[in-house]
Amino acid sequence: MDGMEWMGSAMRAARAALDVATHDLANVASDGFRKAVADVRLTARGLAVATRTSAEQGAVRATGRAFDLALLGPGAFHVGDGHTRGGAFSRDRSGWLVDDRGRRLHGACGALRVSANARIDADGLVHDGGRIVDRLPLPAGTHVQAGALEASSVNAIDETLAILTAQRAFETAQKTLLAIDATREKAANEIGRVQ
Amino acid sequence: MNRAMVAAASGMAAQQLELEVVADNLANADVAGFKGAAETFADVRAGAVGLGTIAVGRHPVFIQGKLEKSGGPFDLAIDGPGFFVVERDGQRAYTRSGAFTRQADGSVRDAAGWALHGVRIPADAVAVHVTRDGAVGVDVPGKAARTVAHLRLAEFAAPEALRPLSATLFARSDGSGPPRLVTPGAQGGPSLAFGMLEKSTVSIVEAMMQILGAQRAYEANAKGVQAADEMLRIANNLHRG
Repeated sequence: MDGMEWMGSAMRAARAALDVATHDLANVASDGFRKAVADVRLTARGLAVATRTSAEQGAVRATGRAFDLALLGPGAFHVGDGHTRGGAFSRDRSGWLVDDRGRRLHGACGALRVSANARIDADGLVHDGGRIVDRLPLPAGTHVQAGALEASSVNAIDETLAILTAQRAFETAQKTLLAIDATREKAANEIGRVQ
Repeated sequence: MNRAMVAAASGMAAQQLELEVVADNLANADVAGFKGAAETFADVRAGAVGLGTIAVGRHPVFIQGKLEKSGGPFDLAIDGPGFFVVERDGQRAYTRSGAFTRQADGSVRDAAGWALHGVRIPADAVAVHVTRDGAVGVDVPGKAARTVAHLRLAEFAAPEALRPLSATLFARSDGSGPPRLVTPGAQGGPSLAFGMLEKSTVSIVEAMMQILGAQRAYEANAKGVQAADEMLRIANNLHRG
């Protein structure tokens, strides 16, 4: 790889880092959102960016709604064919617990259908009418906090820094690329010019 | 850079929406029976690629407001779930705002003219009171005290899906299910408090904090748009004539 290719890979890496940081920042108000982290690695073919999801726990804030559920620990809620950590569920007219997109919350025995007085305890057990009707399939050690939501784990300051860093890295790479280009221009047009 | 710009712009739109919801809550921080609303956001992604955020829904948060003694002549508050059933021009609606007054025609109406369903107060009654189980009693000079109506409250399977008509007034919708009339005062159910009003559930301090947070998050997202724009400009300068 020559210098220009190196700088090209650095610019692509900066762009990827910016994509990740802006996506994180946009989701600073998305409950249950876990931020993505861009890891930049030096490889033989230039800088490479790998994205991973951070496992950092978001802050838990009380809402007072019975079926707002916050997860403390790893895991996710099963909703239809997907998973989410956004725990703003409510009872629909037929008693199904649904999220704001209308997807049904699933327990170990299928979609949960409960009465208005049902409650979900810290171990994810669903109590309804004095007995346990189902449980949320969660990894061992994960607790549920009812009447609360897990806020996004995004920290606006970190992401703003990441955006600035990406922008400057991009700029530096561009300047270096231009310098290399200028050197080559000299080599091509000035060295060996017949006066 | 384009992806970053779209993501950051979606973040700005989300924070703007959040501001609107909080401003609406704040405007109703002194309205009896008002329930603050919350907006839910979720991330948008195509596979592993993040594309920003989207608003997925808004719901009123039906938590109990504090009951406060009030000076109104026919003030009522609900302690527990349920709604007052009110009517105007043949239309039926549901509210938790209980600031009613006696009218000359015997009906009991709120400030917007919605009448409490099924209540008629005789013109010669000098005093009115409502018990916790909804019995409306009147005192008429020279006669024994008597009960003229029994108030019943409406409960819904999914109250959050009710269609809002105004800040505190709701109509039934397909999502909410039909109203179920319950008699207040039963064990574990709602009860009525006469001479009290239910305060708005909006906390001014909390709303101010949400506004500050949304404002800063908006600015940060705007910085994201700027950075993406700046990087496009830098990329354009790669080629020097």
